[in-house]
Amino acid sequence: MSVTELDFLVDGEPRKISVETKDKAFVFREGGCVLEAEVRRISANELQFRLGGRTLRAHLVRDGERTFVSVDGRDFVVSEFRPETGRRGEGDEKTAETSLRVKSPMPGKVTNIAVSEGEEVRKNQTLVIVEAMKMENEIKTAIDGVVTKIHVAVGDLVDSERPLIEVEKQ
Amino acid sequence: MFGKILIANRGEIAVRVIKACREMGIGSVAVYSEADATSLHVRQADEAVPVGPPPAVESYLDMERILEAARATGAEAIHPGYGFLAENAAFARLCEERGIVFIGPNSTALELVGDKVRARRTMEKAGIPTIPGMTSVATSPEEFRVAARALGYPVMVKASAGGGGKGMRIVCDEAGLVPALESGKREAKSAFGDDSVYLEKYIEEPRHVEFQVLADDRGHTIHLFERECSIQRRHQKILEETPSPALDPELRAEMGETAIRAMRAAGYNNAGTVEFLLGRDRRFYFLEVNARLQVEHPVTELTTGVDLVRRQILIASGADLSIRQEDLLQRGHAVECRIYAEDPKSNFLPSPGRIAFLREPKGPGVRFDSGVFEGFEVPVFYDPILAKLIVWAEDREAACRRMSVALGDCVILGIHTTAGFLRDVVNHPEFRAGRSTTSFIGKYFPSWGTEEGEEDGRRLALAAAAYEALARTAGPTGLPGRRGKEDVATPWTTLGRWRAGGET
Repeated sequence: MSVTELDFLVDGEPRKISVETKDKAFVFREGGCVLEAEVRRISANELQFRLGGRTLRAHLVRDGERTFVSVDGRDFVVSEFRPETGRRGEGDEKTAETSLRVKSPMPGKVTNIAVSEGEEVRKNQTLVIVEAMKMENEIKTAIDGVVTKIHVAVGDLVDSERPLIEVEKQ
Repeated sequence: MFGKILIANRGEIAVRVIKACREMGIGSVAVYSEADATSLHVRQADEAVPVGPPPAVESYLDMERILEAARATGAEAIHPGYGFLAENAAFARLCEERGIVFIGPNSTALELVGDKVRARRTMEKAGIPTIPGMTSVATSPEEFRVAARALGYPVMVKASAGGGGKGMRIVCDEAGLVPALESGKREAKSAFGDDSVYLEKYIEEPRHVEFQVLADDRGHTIHLFERECSIQRRHQKILEETPSPALDPELRAEMGETAIRAMRAAGYNNAGTVEFLLGRDRRFYFLEVNARLQVEHPVTELTTGVDLVRRQILIASGADLSIRQEDLLQRGHAVECRIYAEDPKSNFLPSPGRIAFLREPKGPGVRFDSGVFEGFEVPVFYDPILAKLIVWAEDREAACRRMSVALGDCVILGIHTTAGFLRDVVNHPEFRAGRSTTSFIGKYFPSWGTEEGEEDGRRLALAAAAYEALARTAGPTGLPGRRGKEDVATPWTTLGRWRAGGET
């Protein structure tokens, strides 16, 4: 018998889960909950969990650091997490609460830049508009400050990784 | 009959039309933007012509390029699908001038129904009920007050230049009228540069019920019953069904008859839909004509047995519509769910990206009209619809159950979709009771992702990811499951980067 502890981010939230093998079954412990099940691999993308008289299915696929999992029609994004390095790749990056690297929540095309470098901005002020799939999304600043750097231009295609704009607290 | 049809669209609807063409022995020509070179419609068509860069205005909306593609390939007709050029009267006229058949209504009817004011006037003249509203321009608060009293409260302030809910205010009594007029005018001014507003009778918790109509070139017009489309978010339909739980045979017959009269008044031919707003008092009002094949057309196909795309093509080729009204019956119940690339947990934010895994639902009574495949990169440029899941069953309850199971079987990984959200909608007791109104989503699903079931799902997802991570790091000899179904235990001791045995 052995126990393994794993750290994940589920939809951006850190979660710790321990896995223990017990005869033919697995015991998963997470946040005070225990799930004891036999696990069957149906295919590269499908697992079956048998617990008591019930059978639960999970479909999953790995894409780089992330694992996409579908359970009963609900989708989750699970990524590996190393607590010592802090949260990564999720939303805007703040460094020491004094500056903000604003990112787009989804890939899209920059249709408007509402500020210029050196401009003072207030919390929740719209910085950039990114259009994706015929929908306009206003990207706002989460802090008061000054726009120190604009990394994009109107018409640019952006992803959710690259910072659009940097705002520094004064 | 045509020898070749060009499909001026992309995604699931282009695929749907290509299928109809193949079944009818007609050649199909796809057009595609640079972003769609490997899209499903391009793969399935007999021929494919590039029509420009990714932005729709430079490709799918470029009339000259589309017409040139038709000329170059020798296509005799163009099917516009929905969206893009489907309701563009100028395009329909261009086709007529160039001797290419536009598979849709004639350009005169298209122009008429596309102009909301003219359409409304035409319908009123034909005795079709419209939402009571002010017919003259008012300037003083007193004029508005008189008009509001005549309409009866509640009334709605609407911007004359209108659209998108901007400038709209609901007024329940006379005290609220002047403040609503003022704020409505302000918003209209900033949205449209025009502050003129008018009053309309406000229909409380209405249903959105539409009737499918087919009309041939000789004026033979029939309706194929209703579609209930009340489940909407941001004024966009996400779930449709037929029959509507709100109609009885008398009301259905009356509304269907009215839909036929409306289309005749507009001089309409080919397939089209008449949209009505249905009040709690069972009164209905003409909203508008959708002069195209609609996204939700499959629910009508499954309950009437009529292939609407095939009929569109037949009518456009000049054939008589051989179906008589009395031949039509609604059989069973059909429900459609629109699977969008959107994240229901983050306010339906668009979710383009690569579909890393796809499992299409199937089984008795299940239809999946899809424009995507595993490995497909959903582009950021277009409408987020990926696929439509449509089910048919003997009655509404059975159809809802079938839909719930099918949505659970529909697995799309790599991007977010609305499938799980729709499953909760279908299983909601108010929906099951047939009480769907246009305010349903706002009322019962102000947010999503925190209900019961979510946490259980998250935990199982975590367990699955943990199992997978262990399987991966265990190395090729220790992979659980790779040695057979029964083999569930793994040598954990070979774990690499994961910390074994708790905290280190």
